[in-house]
Amino acid sequence: MPRYELALIVKVMQRPETAAVLKRTVEALMERGAVVRNLENLGERSLPYKISKHKERHRRGGYFLIDLEAPPTIVTTMMDHLGRDIDVIRRAFIKHPLSKTEECSGIIPVNYNDKLIAKK
Amino acid sequence: MPRMHTGKDWGGALEENGGRSTRCSARQGGPIQMENPYKEPPKRCVLCGINVDYKNVQLLSQFVSPHTGRIYGRHITGLCNKKQKEITKAIKRAQVIGFMPVMFKNPAFLTDPKICNIKYPE
Repeated sequence: MPRYELALIVKVMQRPETAAVLKRTVEALMERGAVVRNLENLGERSLPYKISKHKERHRRGGYFLIDLEAPPTIVTTMMDHLGRDIDVIRRAFIKHPLSKTEECSGIIPVNYNDKLIAKK
Repeated sequence: MPRMHTGKDWGGALEENGGRSTRCSARQGGPIQMENPYKEPPKRCVLCGINVDYKNVQLLSQFVSPHTGRIYGRHITGLCNKKQKEITKAIKRAQVIGFMPVMFKNPAFLTDPKICNIKYPE
């Protein structure tokens, strides 16, 4: 079951260099005992705001999404590791959002009268 | 001899409780207790049943002001408790991670269908 999602924004570079960044990221993950399930490329887009990182002002970035299963201990170490990588603009570990909207039963009308009267 | 069937025989209902059963209360002129047959299904908000994700920037941008980028309140969006909270959390997350702009609404999504009409809040 996918446990984490790593949202990665990478500096705009030529294809082989981007490939190298992703490769070493995934290798670092696997070294620490994570199982990479899927790697998605969300395209190269212009960033929503200018981000200054590693002494550079970035306006465009390559968005990547890695879902992986990993022990929770590697989160801090990986954030540290990715922070030192000069090609990575932003990194974020998110618990994998498994779809859980099966039981939405609509708005249940709340009885405000009952809430006013203190229950004893 | 066959049993005489009177017009008042309700197929066995008369035999319970010595001739007076709860099902026959209509005969006595009172209402039969039952669930409201005209009950409407509970009202659903716009996002009922839709999965809210921080990556879905277009959906999240529909609940944000185009001028300032501020998140609309519950009285404007008309969402239920749960969904409003989910949307707020997702928007905040997307803004921090670098998926969604903070101070304005992404211009590509300005022409999206309007869910929240700020002039006539519900």
